[in-house]
Amino acid sequence: MKIRFILNGETKVIDVEADRRVIDVIREDLGLTGTKEACGRGECGSCTILVDGSPKLSCLMLAAQLEGREIITIEGIKKDSDMHPIQEAFIKHGAVQCGFCTPGMVLVSFDLLKRNKKPSRDEIREAISGNLCRCTGYQKIVDAIEAAAKREL
Amino acid sequence: MKLDRKIVEIGRIIPRIDAFNKVRGLEKYASDYHSKDMIWVGVKRAGIPHARLKKIKIDKAKHLKGVIDVLTHKDVKGTNRQGVVRKDQPVLVDDKIRYAGDAVALVLAKDKKVLMHALSLIAIDYEPLPLIFDAEKAINDKKNLVHEDNPDGNVLLHGKIETGKGNKAFSECDLVVEASFEVPYQEHAYLETEAGWAILDSDGMLTITVSTQTPFRDRSEVAEALGLDIKKVRIIAPYCGGAFGGKDGITVQTLLGLAALTVPGKPVKIWLNREESFISSVKRHQARLYYKLGAKKDGKLHALDVRFFYDTGPYDHLGGVVMALGLEHSGGPYHIPNTNLKGWVVYTNNPIGGAFRAFGVPQVTFAMEQMVDMVAKRLNLSPLEIRLRNVIKKGDKIPIGTTMLSSTGITDCLNILKQHPLWKERERWKRDAPIFKKRGVGIASIMHAMGYGPVVPDYANAKIELTEDGKFRIFCGVVDMGQGNINSYMQIAANILNQDIDNIELILPDTEKTLSSGSSSASRTTYTFGNALIDASKTLKEYILNRVADLIMAKSIDEFTMVPGKIIHLPTGKSFLLKEITKFLNDSERIVTKHYRAPVSKELVSIDERLRLHGIPHLIFSFVSHLAYVEIDELTGEVEVKKYLSITDSGKIINPQILEQQIHGAIAQGLGYAIYEDFVVEDGKAKTLDFSTYIIPTAMDLPDIESINVELHESSGPFGMKGAGEINTNGPLPAVANGVADALDIRIFRSPLTGERILMALKEKKEMSN
Amino acid sequence: MRKLFLPKSLDELWEILSKDPDISIYAGGTDFLVKMQKGIINPSSIVCIERIDELKGIREDNDKIWIGACTTHTELLSNHIIKENFPVLLKAIKVLGSPLIRNMGTIGGNICTASPAGDTLPPLYILDAELEICTKDSLSIVAIKDFITGPGKTSLKKGQILKGIFIRKNNNYTIHHYEKVGQRKALSIAIVSMAALLKVSSNGDIEDARLSWGSVAPMVIRSNNVEDFLKGKKFSIETLKALKSIVEKEVSPIDDIRATALYRKLVASNLVLRLIKYEI
Ligand SMILES: Cc1cc2nc3c(=O)[nH]c(=O)nc-3n(C[C@H](O)[C@H](O)[C@H](O)COP(=O)(O)OP(=O)(O)OC[C@H]3O[C@@H](n4cnc5c(N)ncnc54)[C@H](O)[C@@H]3O)c2cc1C
Ligand code: FES
Ligand code: FES
Repeated sequence: MKIRFILNGETKVIDVEADRRVIDVIREDLGLTGTKEACGRGECGSCTILVDGSPKLSCLMLAAQLEGREIITIEGIKKDSDMHPIQEAFIKHGAVQCGFCTPGMVLVSFDLLKRNKKPSRDEIREAISGNLCRCTGYQKIVDAIEAAAKREL
Repeated sequence: MKLDRKIVEIGRIIPRIDAFNKVRGLEKYASDYHSKDMIWVGVKRAGIPHARLKKIKIDKAKHLKGVIDVLTHKDVKGTNRQGVVRKDQPVLVDDKIRYAGDAVALVLAKDKKVLMHALSLIAIDYEPLPLIFDAEKAINDKKNLVHEDNPDGNVLLHGKIETGKGNKAFSECDLVVEASFEVPYQEHAYLETEAGWAILDSDGMLTITVSTQTPFRDRSEVAEALGLDIKKVRIIAPYCGGAFGGKDGITVQTLLGLAALTVPGKPVKIWLNREESFISSVKRHQARLYYKLGAKKDGKLHALDVRFFYDTGPYDHLGGVVMALGLEHSGGPYHIPNTNLKGWVVYTNNPIGGAFRAFGVPQVTFAMEQMVDMVAKRLNLSPLEIRLRNVIKKGDKIPIGTTMLSSTGITDCLNILKQHPLWKERERWKRDAPIFKKRGVGIASIMHAMGYGPVVPDYANAKIELTEDGKFRIFCGVVDMGQGNINSYMQIAANILNQDIDNIELILPDTEKTLSSGSSSASRTTYTFGNALIDASKTLKEYILNRVADLIMAKSIDEFTMVPGKIIHLPTGKSFLLKEITKFLNDSERIVTKHYRAPVSKELVSIDERLRLHGIPHLIFSFVSHLAYVEIDELTGEVEVKKYLSITDSGKIINPQILEQQIHGAIAQGLGYAIYEDFVVEDGKAKTLDFSTYIIPTAMDLPDIESINVELHESSGPFGMKGAGEINTNGPLPAVANGVADALDIRIFRSPLTGERILMALKEKKEMSN
Repeated sequence: MRKLFLPKSLDELWEILSKDPDISIYAGGTDFLVKMQKGIINPSSIVCIERIDELKGIREDNDKIWIGACTTHTELLSNHIIKENFPVLLKAIKVLGSPLIRNMGTIGGNICTASPAGDTLPPLYILDAELEICTKDSLSIVAIKDFITGPGKTSLKKGQILKGIFIRKNNNYTIHHYEKVGQRKALSIAIVSMAALLKVSSNGDIEDARLSWGSVAPMVIRSNNVEDFLKGKKFSIETLKALKSIVEKEVSPIDDIRATALYRKLVASNLVLRLIKYEI
């Protein structure tokens, strides 16, 4: 099946099986391995991508659903300069350990800060509650998002 | 980029080098390797816990379109055995199935769909055997054995330590408390499941890129199990997507190797899905523990009797070593003159018990720290007071009878806790509990050993090079599984060589390029490799300065100072660029390799040779005190940790942010273990096979953690540091359990402390009092 | 390879359904695709209805509110009509899954999945939600309690879809309560859940009461015994305590991997005490 969509600002036309998981399309067919898979069941958030701006789980989407959508993956969150302020904040505040949850965390934070300019710590915890992290205990991730919101980098 | 990576002082925060790629999704993990011509490899798991293998029917699978090959034990040319201590685990089952996760056959297919289909077509003919599932009972079962060739039946290792008058001392106690405890398996749940990629090239070199903590040990295991020349095996270890002990040893390495050997020149890939990972991977040992603790009226602990049983499942993995460490820590950080400590680690048909951050210590800590509180209560002492009266000081004997010789900060940790507002204001906080809530405050004090112990060499080989463009390149032999040790190495080298971090390059662990330096485990990575690296960096610096001094005929190297990118001759103010100097050095001058071996305990008392072989006693320990504010919902029994305080003595700090990352992460895993995580196994079959039934904490389930560091100087450590990666895992379970007891006057003897367990205990208490 | 369709209108959907009556439907896919990936279902053709605008949105329709079946939980959460009229539903959705699941999952999917643990169900039962079931050329209205016929079972037939949900506005209630007890605070499946709507007069009399429980029986429990007991009583802790033993008799939970039946029973009855927090 031919599918046309925008990936990180670039129009893509791909020919894939309609029921292929979107995560496989992105990682295997398009070679963008920043989107991670850690459960394949919607339970961890590692595979988060932005679909028309809204964070969705690419392990629970099928290729056909990409048609006409604008997709942003972790690689595309910042095009011009090399890093988005949220990414900088993650580095600066020690929010990254093994880094496997990081792409998903960054993308949901991106969405949060778009909707809520001044989230409280509880609101941040709520916003990232669909993204499991096994390394950090979340505190430094919350610190980083809080700092990014205040632009205190 | 506003992030400042110029600071190289020890003790300052330097943003982690690995974070720059990770945060942009650019870091390539083992699971990220992929190519169009690659072959997917999958494992047929036994699915049954104990049986004699009769026949593996692979024909249907083999003839499926898109299947390249199906392999069984007959295709394994080497010993077909793997294991860290005892080589008791088959690569592919040949005689017996010993647990449901055993690998029986390997399928190579062109894509994942075909692979899944082929796996479902493989049938196993077997003769079921009686299930061995209770470790304590299995030790006396001489008829049903997991390994018929094990001289001790189902016992993998039994350890026994007696000090002082042993159990006779209970008659001298004014009070004796007894209790038994149970803890379930804990699953590592690293987000990156077991993954790897391998290829056999035309020169016969087998290269395996894999998510592992132990590349050098893996290389030997793969070579032996598959019958290969070790020189023909190369292991590359990228950053892991989490490991925590679960990738200490073989996961998919031998299977990848076996697959790659059958399709020369083609890359093969294995990536376990979550369910298969949970079924097959090692776990923190489930355990049953029996404790008896006696004290004198003055609050001094006097006698301790411990018996515990660790369930190691079907294979050793590191079970013996885990049990030994448990035994060493079974009496906590206390001076108890008379002890009788016995531990068994036992084969069963349950999942494999193995290495997991804190390695056998959380189980005994759960028991011991509650015992101490129970004694305190009977003596009408505060939990803090009894600890202050009993914790060891430098020079004291620890419960296994050896002497504490490392820096010993546990008293400091407790004193800081005593002064902390969270301790001082606890009564008021408890009184302010809202309706249907009960509040309690629990504490725990803990020690944790570092390194491999007295026999297995705890060594590292650091190699550092002045590159041809005048930068420094560190060859790291120890994996960074997410803990940030590699950043600390850069900081150490940069500090000694007085360079910007950007002048330092890294070569990640690779058996062809870097040098064997032991595992990324046992809280020893920064300590051991760090010491080797300090030596190597200093030597290299001296070489370089000597060379310049000779060249310009300076009096001594003291006239020079090294600054970023160059060397300055102080008397003349002349500077020499490193990228120029490097031309004057030949390879053997530009590259320095240094070996370091960690010191070990020389005491031979009370610990027998078998236990010594399994890693105890240790010489260097870290310490923590923990405090938890817990709130229990009386309607549901649910526990919530409202505030958490950790005070750590892990020596001097190299990078406070990395240390705090370790503290937070360890406490998070500890709180998961305390309240949520229960890996359920029934009749040898795991029941909690996804993240909706195996519950790990989300961001909404954990409190903000306050951490304080004592920073005593450990003279043997690099810049005065000692191990920090594991210790904080131990505290949360007992601290929460003690908090629950404080709030409800109920002791919970089985973890985790779920709402159900607590509500049932409350109900029972109510019924008793009626 | 499976066939997959992505219709943009109901007309397109009817066309697809008429050609392939056995086709499987999904909306957000958070239940359906999980089942498919686990191999529990293996449909040969599927249709994703997430792009059909006629199935989306929230509208006032006289004394009722209409919610399109394919409206996502996130959309419901930020909708002021829902906020004003059905705080009990809002509270339930707030704790459903995780933000990511709520961005994808739909209210229609939650209803059609008919899980005893489904979070929107206890509120929808006490709100007397009515479901708009349609085929190409028919439309019928079914009460939610008649629609769900067992755990995972509904009265939906081949060719039918759930188009929307009607809920009657009712400003009478003074207490709108939902509580889910799960294994953790997010991404948690209900061990027990309870929804309640109470009308308490200014002098503390309970004039109307509607309560329902999830996860304590094959389907959501709503009981006349419970509601009748409360009506006319004083809103007090004594009343709520007295209610507990009635609740225990009404629920019939089972043991599963998450909790035992006994615990569920205890919690189901304990949860009524929580209502006291609304006492003025
Ligand atoms: C990680 C995770 C956590 C979850 N947590 C919760 C939770 O806490 N609480 C909870 O209640 N649920 C939870 N769920 C389940 C699920 O997200 C919800 O039930 C959601 O509302 C389903 O909506 P959907 O659109 O994704 O359904 P789909 O998966 O698209 O569909 C579900 C079923 O409904 C049918 N269906 C859907 N829409 C229609 C329609 N309009 N007409 C006819 N049939 C239709 C489909 O055929 C399918 O059988 C969770 C799921 C996951 C993966
Ligand atoms: S991989 Fe998609 S949610 Fe876990
Ligand atoms: S940093 Fe490892 S899972 Fe989050």
